Amino acid sequence: MENSRIYIIAELRKGRITQETFELLGFAHFIGKEKSPVFLLPGKNTEEPAREISQKTGCDAVALTARHLEHYNTLSYAHAVLEILVKEDEAWICLPHTSMGYDLAPRLAVLLNAACITGVESAGHGSLRRPIYSGRFKEDIVPKTPRVVVTVLPGAFPLCEKRTGPAGRVTVVEVACKEHLSQTLGTEEAEHTDRMIRDAEVIVAAGRGIGKKENLSLVKQLANLFPRSAVGASRSVCDLGWLEYRHQIGATGQSVSPRLYIACGISGAFQHVSGIRGAQTIVAVNRDPHAAIFQVAHYCIVEDLTTFIPLLIEMWAQKGPH
Amino acid sequence: MKILVCIKQVPDSFETLQIDERTGRLVLPAGTAFRMNRFDEFALEEALLIKETHRDTLVHALSVGPERVSAALQRALGMGADHGIHILDPFEGYRSPFTVASFIATFARTRRYDIILAGVMAEDTMACQTGQLIAALLDLPCATSVMKEEVHLNRGQITAEREIEGGSREKVQLKLPAVLTIQPGINVPRYPSFSKVMRARTCAQERIRAGDIEVPEPRESSRGIHFPEAASHGVFIQGSPKEKALKLINILHQKSLLS
Repeated sequence: MENSRIYIIAELRKGRITQETFELLGFAHFIGKEKSPVFLLPGKNTEEPAREISQKTGCDAVALTARHLEHYNTLSYAHAVLEILVKEDEAWICLPHTSMGYDLAPRLAVLLNAACITGVESAGHGSLRRPIYSGRFKEDIVPKTPRVVVTVLPGAFPLCEKRTGPAGRVTVVEVACKEHLSQTLGTEEAEHTDRMIRDAEVIVAAGRGIGKKENLSLVKQLANLFPRSAVGASRSVCDLGWLEYRHQIGATGQSVSPRLYIACGISGAFQHVSGIRGAQTIVAVNRDPHAAIFQVAHYCIVEDLTTFIPLLIEMWAQKGPH
Repeated sequence: MKILVCIKQVPDSFETLQIDERTGRLVLPAGTAFRMNRFDEFALEEALLIKETHRDTLVHALSVGPERVSAALQRALGMGADHGIHILDPFEGYRSPFTVASFIATFARTRRYDIILAGVMAEDTMACQTGQLIAALLDLPCATSVMKEEVHLNRGQITAEREIEGGSREKVQLKLPAVLTIQPGINVPRYPSFSKVMRARTCAQERIRAGDIEVPEPRESSRGIHFPEAASHGVFIQGSPKEKALKLINILHQKSLLS
């Protein structure tokens, strides 16, 4: 893989380059050392964003433009980048592990006869490391093909520092219009942002580990100890109907940045953790000492929350407000 | 219409699972309970809902794995699937999503399904690949993370809404046959009904030996599984439950988080 070129497929949301795209540069440096990756930007009019990337990163950027690329679509995007990628016998193709990245990566891998390794959080010694079993374990995967498609977990690699060097080269390629078996009609913005959660200073959040809906009252009681607090939830708690989706925190819910986040019975899979990166202090209560949430929490408490929360509330009442 | 739902069986609880540090393999303690991957329950329910609105629809449930996975198919039949297909793969070690998808795609190619459904991912391996790989191998269109779908048989199309970051929706129109991976929350999966469970017991599952299906060489291998390194920056609060509670209250006081 020494000679492999590294490609990064950039993601744009509402016309702006996502942070996850820039994080991929960190991953590229990790696998390619000094090698400079090439950014590919499929879209309707991506010359400007390509220029922005080339200035910010010093890397070359290719804007792949066509009217039918206005919205992300698996097949039209795959075929747009394929024109460039098929020319490489050996290559790393990196995408963010987002709704675009995990949708596109397997398609590209099949079209390129490439290995496909998704949800990667680190790399080294020829293998890529990814969390499994809700992050309880890690698995090291070795690609066995000269072309490798990788999706990298948001937040796994830090943003690279600002640089002052010459900008990379920008190329614009017009992609021929083609009929595909699927077509993206457009996007609709989410309605369920909840101001209570967004503005809360303290969020107490419930995961599936609370066991049953009745235990939500414990979480609510704990939240009530704090002024300007709100109750949050992991995706699975909302899917079970225990709380409404407006309480959901994580990749497909809201991203929050409270002063204090208390995770109760939350396993800590990346979909949830990516929504609490802005929290100043994270406390986690979980009875499994290997729960992934303990890797991001500042204060970790291995206890059964059905006994621990009542105890905590009781001790707090005894100590009384100072 | 013929619908194929891909189902994976996973351990019921991850908390009891251990690792053999020597081999880097997962150890399933004796008596480990298994169940259907929750994401696949939503996919199966969606297939059953399509069957309710489109007459003459058949729902086939398929699973790849050792002997034990036939219990997951049994549950699928109990929920209302018409037919169970077990691709018997006795191997308990690492199987890449590509290999599993190749088994399923090779099988499905000759059966002419109109719709193939799968959960958006498996709870255990978390790859988010199998559905998309099946689609790519069969050269079918695919939409992932689907939160709403509508079949238009007269136009030979299916429209789907994908859930994307922040809960926004992306609308996609796909020509049938198509593959959808289903996002949890799209529906409320039903419990198996008594009468269907009884029927499922007598229902023979179709069995195909994985070894009889020709698939390409794997493109990835596993170097092993391990526990994560110790928490990077966290502090484990020690002591009796009472002491832990007191210590936490003190920490929150110091940080002026509790008044």
